Amino acid sequence: MNILWIVRFVSGKSMIAIHDTQVNNKRFTAVNMASNFSGVLQLTDLDDFITPSQECVKPVKVEKKQGKSVARIQIEDDGSYVQVNQDGGKKKLEKAKISLNDCLACSGCITSAESVLITQQSHEELFKVLRNNKTSASEQKVVVISVSPQSRASLAAHYGLSSSEAGRRLTSFFKGLGVHHVFDTSFSRTFSLLESQREFVERFQRKEQDSKALPMLTSACPGWICYAEKTHGEFILPYISTIRSPQQMMGSLVKGYFAEQQGLSPQQIYHVAVMPCFDKKLEASRTDFYLNKAETREVDCVITSGEVQKMLDEENVSLNDFGPAVLDTQCTMLSSVCGDEFLSHAGSGSGGYLHHVFTYAAKQLFGEEVKELTYKTLRNKDFQEVTLERDGVVLLSFASMYGFRNIQNLVQKLKRGKSPYHFVEVMACPSGCLNGGGQVKATPGQNAKELLQTVEDLYKAERPLAPEDDTRVAELYQSWLHSVGEERAKELLHTQYHTVEKMTSGLNMKW
Amino acid sequence: MKEALSLVQRLSAHPDSRCWFVSWNPTGTLFASCGGDKAIRIWGREGDSWICKSVLHQHQRTVRKVAWSPCGNYLASASFDATTCIWKKKNDDFESLTVLEGHENEVKCVAWAPSGNLLATCSRDKSVWVWEVDEEDEYECVTVVNSHTQDVKHVVWHPTQELLASASYDNNICIYKDEDDDWECRATLQGHTSTVWSLSFDGTGQRLASCSDDRTVKIWKEYPNESGEGDLLWKCVCTLSGYHGRTVYDVAWCPLTGALATACGDDAVRVFKEDESANPDQLVFSLAAQVTKAHSQDVNCVAWNPQEPGLLASCSDNGEIALWRIQEDST
Repeated sequence: MNILWIVRFVSGKSMIAIHDTQVNNKRFTAVNMASNFSGVLQLTDLDDFITPSQECVKPVKVEKKQGKSVARIQIEDDGSYVQVNQDGGKKKLEKAKISLNDCLACSGCITSAESVLITQQSHEELFKVLRNNKTSASEQKVVVISVSPQSRASLAAHYGLSSSEAGRRLTSFFKGLGVHHVFDTSFSRTFSLLESQREFVERFQRKEQDSKALPMLTSACPGWICYAEKTHGEFILPYISTIRSPQQMMGSLVKGYFAEQQGLSPQQIYHVAVMPCFDKKLEASRTDFYLNKAETREVDCVITSGEVQKMLDEENVSLNDFGPAVLDTQCTMLSSVCGDEFLSHAGSGSGGYLHHVFTYAAKQLFGEEVKELTYKTLRNKDFQEVTLERDGVVLLSFASMYGFRNIQNLVQKLKRGKSPYHFVEVMACPSGCLNGGGQVKATPGQNAKELLQTVEDLYKAERPLAPEDDTRVAELYQSWLHSVGEERAKELLHTQYHTVEKMTSGLNMKW
Repeated sequence: MKEALSLVQRLSAHPDSRCWFVSWNPTGTLFASCGGDKAIRIWGREGDSWICKSVLHQHQRTVRKVAWSPCGNYLASASFDATTCIWKKKNDDFESLTVLEGHENEVKCVAWAPSGNLLATCSRDKSVWVWEVDEEDEYECVTVVNSHTQDVKHVVWHPTQELLASASYDNNICIYKDEDDDWECRATLQGHTSTVWSLSFDGTGQRLASCSDDRTVKIWKEYPNESGEGDLLWKCVCTLSGYHGRTVYDVAWCPLTGALATACGDDAVRVFKEDESANPDQLVFSLAAQVTKAHSQDVNCVAWNPQEPGLLASCSDNGEIALWRIQEDST
C-alpha cells in the first residue's frame, strides 16, 4: 500500500496548488455550492477551494502499481494527468479521490463540491435511479421520497398554494416520475419529539448527579452537530440530545419497519429526503446512519426544496399544472395526515422541540398544564426564552438560539458555567429551518424577508397534532419497536456523536 | 520635502523577536506594544525618555495587535493563539479580565468602537466579529460576518459612528453597519491588486486610507448613494503610487495635523501631506518627510500620538520601536 499525500494550499504570496485541474476548473461552481451550506459550517472551514487556512492533509490510500522508475507527468488539455515514459509511451493516471466520509472524519477542511456530493446527493441521481427502473429489468429499486414540512411550505410559497395542496401536488409529481411512495417527515418527527420529551425528563431527574445532564441541547440540526463535533468536541457533545433528527428517524422507519412490511431488503429501497437544508446531505452520509449488514444508507440521497423546484423546471412543469390530488394509502402509510390535510406540530418552524419538551416537562415534573408559551425575545430575534415559574421560583428555563452568533454565546456561557438554561433548541440558520439554505430562493424583485414570512405563515397554517395523540405512532411503538427488543429500538431512535480530533500536522503550520 | 522626521528615541522593545504593533492610549501618556515574544509591553514617559512600565503575559502565541478602549482603562490584545484578551487597568498595572474565544484560528486585529461598548475582531478564519460589553464587563458576540473570502488583516471603527471597516488578503475592504438586528456588509471597496494590510480613517471619518501589498496607498471617500439601493458608496479619490519600494504594512492618519504616515517593507517611514487646495474628488498628497532606513528591517506599524502633534511611533521586525518628531526642515 502506498500513501499519497494530497496537499493543496495557497501559501504566502504565491499559489501552490497540487491538485487536478478539473477541480480547479470547478472553482466557481464549487464555491457557490459551498456557500449553500449553513453559516456555521462555512465557518468551520467548509469551503471547497483550499485557502491558507485549509490544507487537505488527508492521506489517501491508492493501490500501488509497478511503474517505470523515471517518467514525466503531463497535464492534458482536458485536465487529465498523463504519465509519459522514457520510451514516449503514455498512460493516463488515476485520480486520488477524497470521499465525503473522509472529509467528515477530518478536522481539516470539508471539500463540499468534490464529486461525492454531486454524484451521490443530487436530483440527477434520483433521475438516474428512476430511469434505471424503467430501462433495466434487473436491479429495480423501490423509490421512497420523504418530504419535510418546511420544504412543503417553501414550495407552497413559490407556487402560491397552501402547504397541504403543495404536498399533495408534489406527491402527484413524484408519482408521475415513477416514485413509488411519498411520505412526510412530520410523521417521523413525532417520534423525535416524543423521544426528546422523555430524554429531557430523564436528564432533569439526574441533574444533581450528572453535571453534563443539563442543559439538553437539541440534535436535529446537522450544521450545529458538525460544528460541535469539530470545534468543541468532548466538552459540548455530552449535552446534546441523542435523539435522531426527523430525517434519520425516517431512515429507520423506511429501511427498517417499511422494508419489513413490504418484504424488501433495505438495499432494494432507494430512500430520498427532501429537506430545507444542504447540511442534511452531510447528515445522511454519516457512518452512524449506514447499515453495515445491508450495505446501504438509511437515507440514500437528500435533495433540497430548491432542487425540487429545479426538477420541476427541468421537467417543464409547475406545481400549478397538477390538478387537486388525493393521497392514497401508499402515501399516507408513513405520513402525518388527516384525510387529505397534512398535519404539523406546534411551536417553532424548526420542529417545535422547545414547545413540546417544555409542555411535557411542565406536566411531568411539576404537574403544570401549560396552554400557551410566552417567548421573550432577548439580544436578537433568534434568541428567545421561555420560563415556567411558580411562586416567583423559576422551575424551567428554556431557550431557542439560532444562528452562529447565538451558538457562540451559548457555548462560551456553558464553558464559563454561566448558562441558566435547562434546554436549548439550537439551529445553525438564523430564523431556523424555514430559512434553511436549501429553501427555494426569492425570485428577482421578491423581498427575501417577506418571502420568509409567507413561508412561515404557510407552515403555521397546517393543523398541529400533539405527538401523544398520534395513534399510528403509538401503534408502531407497541408493535414494531416492541418487537425488535429494547436495544435495537434504542439504535433505531437514537444516534451518537464523535469528537473530531484537531490535527497537529506540520502541514497546518502557518505564519 | 519641507519637513523632516527626527529621531526622539529608539527602544529595544521585543528583543530577538518581531515588534508587530504599537498603540497610544487616548491621553497620549502611555503606549502599548506587542510582538512575536507573546508579550505586551506598556511604555510611559519618565523625564525625557520612554521606559517600559510593565510586561503582560497571557497569550500562547504571537500577539498581533493591541488596542486601548476610548476611556483608556481597558486594553484588548489579539493573538495568533485564536483568542482576544481584555485587560483592565488597575493602578499602574493591568489585570487580565477575560479571554474571548470563538475564532477558529489566528486573530489578526482588534478595535474598540468610539462608544467603548463594542469591540471588533478579525481572523485568518475569514470572519469579522462584533462583541458587546455590558456594565459587568461581560462580553457577548453580537455578530459574525463572513464578507471576505480570505484572511482578514485589519479592522477599524469610524471615529464617531458605529461603522466598521475591514481589510483582507482578498484585496478588498468591507464596510459594515448594524442593520435591522444584525450587522451587514454595506460596501465593498475594490481597487487594490493585492492584500490590503491596514486602514485608517481621517479625524472626521469622511475619508479612509488603505495600504496594500501592491505598494500603494489609496484614499476613499464616502458619497451619498443616489441609486436608492441603500448601500453605502465609497469611491477612491487618490492613489499614492511610486513612493513605496515594497509592501505598505500600515497607514496612520493624524487626527490633529492631517498628516498621513506609512510603514513599509522597504524599512522606511514616510509622512505625506495633503494639498488642501486640490479638488476634493481628486485629492493630492505629497511626500513631506521620509526616513529611508528608519529600521533595519520591515516597518510593521506607525502610530501618531493623539495629543501631541507630530509625535510618531514606529516598530519593526527587528523588535525595535522608534519615536519620531516631525519638524520643519531647517536645512
